[in-house]
Amino acid sequence: MLKHLFTLIWNRKRANALLIVEIFLAFVVLFVVGSLLVYRWQNYRAPLGFAYEQVWVVDLDPGMQPKAERYATQQQVIQRIKSLPGVRAVTRTSSNTPFSNSHNSSDINRPGEHIRRPASNVYDLDDAAGDVLSIPVEEGRWFDRRDDGALVAVISHDMKELLFPNETALGKLVEANGNRRIVGVTAPYRADGDFADPKQAIFLRNGLQDTTFDHLQTLLLRVQPGAGGALEKQISADIRAIGAGWSSNITPLSEAREKQMKTVLTPLVALVITCVFLIVNVALGLFGVLWQTINQRRSEIGLRRAIGASAGGISGQILGEILVVATFGLALGLLAAAQFPLLGVLGVRVGVYLTAMALAAGLVYLLTVVCALYPSRLAAGIQPAVALREE
Amino acid sequence: MQTSAAPVLQLTDIEKIYQTKTIETVALHRINLTIGRGEFVSIMGPSGCGKSTLLSLMGLLDEPTHGTVAVDGRPVQSYSDKELAGLRNLKIGFVFQSYHLINDLAVLDNVELPLLYRPGLSGKDRRQRALAALDKVGLSARTNHFPSQLSGGQRQRVAIARALAGAPEIILADEPTGNLDSVMGEEIMDLLLGLNREHGTTIVMVTHDEQQALKTQRLIRLFDGSQVG
Repeated sequence: MLKHLFTLIWNRKRANALLIVEIFLAFVVLFVVGSLLVYRWQNYRAPLGFAYEQVWVVDLDPGMQPKAERYATQQQVIQRIKSLPGVRAVTRTSSNTPFSNSHNSSDINRPGEHIRRPASNVYDLDDAAGDVLSIPVEEGRWFDRRDDGALVAVISHDMKELLFPNETALGKLVEANGNRRIVGVTAPYRADGDFADPKQAIFLRNGLQDTTFDHLQTLLLRVQPGAGGALEKQISADIRAIGAGWSSNITPLSEAREKQMKTVLTPLVALVITCVFLIVNVALGLFGVLWQTINQRRSEIGLRRAIGASAGGISGQILGEILVVATFGLALGLLAAAQFPLLGVLGVRVGVYLTAMALAAGLVYLLTVVCALYPSRLAAGIQPAVALREE
Repeated sequence: MQTSAAPVLQLTDIEKIYQTKTIETVALHRINLTIGRGEFVSIMGPSGCGKSTLLSLMGLLDEPTHGTVAVDGRPVQSYSDKELAGLRNLKIGFVFQSYHLINDLAVLDNVELPLLYRPGLSGKDRRQRALAALDKVGLSARTNHFPSQLSGGQRQRVAIARALAGAPEIILADEPTGNLDSVMGEEIMDLLLGLNREHGTTIVMVTHDEQQALKTQRLIRLFDGSQVG
């Protein structure tokens, strides 16, 4: 019967051409949107590589204070904040904090290497950052006082894979503002948020000699669970009291995360709504064409009933035919979709494309079956004696 | 080939009434009919007298309003849709005035069609049986043609081959020569007579042609839904 269905659809290919094109286009749309959704979903399910709960970002603004005095004032501020009962740890960092959409990128290589690699994210942090952000370390350790007087770095899993794919990175040197010895490798780190790919990252330790304020004017605090508005007010007041003309902006990382998620999700939701609208139109088109086809094929259906097809057999045949038509459309769609990973069109992993292909194909089959259900029941209900007399 | 007295089809007290909200039309009234195995029976009557309705009931395509239809002595009113479909496939072959060929299928595929609904037959078996049926009607050279490439007579031969492919015991022919000129009509009639004579196929034929009806073994006349002869 399957061969018969293929023969029938192939012989009616001109009549089915529009349906095949419609299914092809529906598949391509579902595949593209599916690729983006699968990519975002897989990233969302992966660990961030740090903990954002009970972490606050304090952006410091020194106002008109002379530059030479700022570092000392900042140290006083840090000491004061550390002493507050609701604060567990404080770290000084550059402005590219998690979810900030702020980046500090650089080409990082092994000393003496001049290989063009994707740019890496550079984070300036100090010893407390590991605790504040609860960054999991896969190998080695985070910075500590043992590193005083040395140039050291911690790199992320992805940077290790990039620079030291088949060897340990611990103890090796990387070139980042001088040659730095690697003391630790963290889990994949995704400061760009839940929906972003992990990117290779290098964490540079602020040594005792780093007495500059300008590129490290942000503080990250780990606060006690339940800390809220009162602590926030207290910190703001203390900053204003210590630094004349200083001000601050305090944002919990969880808030920054939500804001960033909305930024990413809004266009995605718009895309999905547009896609749903298109698919509903395709479904209505399929339904209409099938309904019309059934009416045009009444005598054929009557004949098939006369020569031995049961009502269920007719229903099954109509479903089978539309699935064969869908298979022709999908075959073309898969050919088109196969170009995406080959050309790297969307810049996502190959596995994402394959998952999206499977999902889109499944959805197209489901869509065609749903659209064919009612027409196939209509076809099954055709009275053969009546249909055979109509022609 | 001898005609056996055993009835292959038996219609008892058949009534068929078509009912709409406002009109009740009696298509058949108290028909009692027995078709013996190997018989060639023709049914005649004016248009609208119920000939095609009677043929539909014999072909298990429709149900009578009253009365029973029995195939090989077994009443079929309790049969499910699937069982009736199976019975039609095994026992009955249909030939229609307008051929009812599927224009998008080649001749061979059209003839194979009834065998697709018969479980247990391999593709090779289906093809061999279809080729044998086409050989019987003299169309072996047209297997890959499409119906639109054939004359009316050839199309009807294909339709007969399709009816023969499943080796049915009964062929129900509804005005098989109605769309053909007299020469082609004679050819088709000779073919049906040959099938009946040489293979013992039971044939019930509806016709308007008195000359053709007289060539069959028995003539049944209908008028206004009742059997008059």
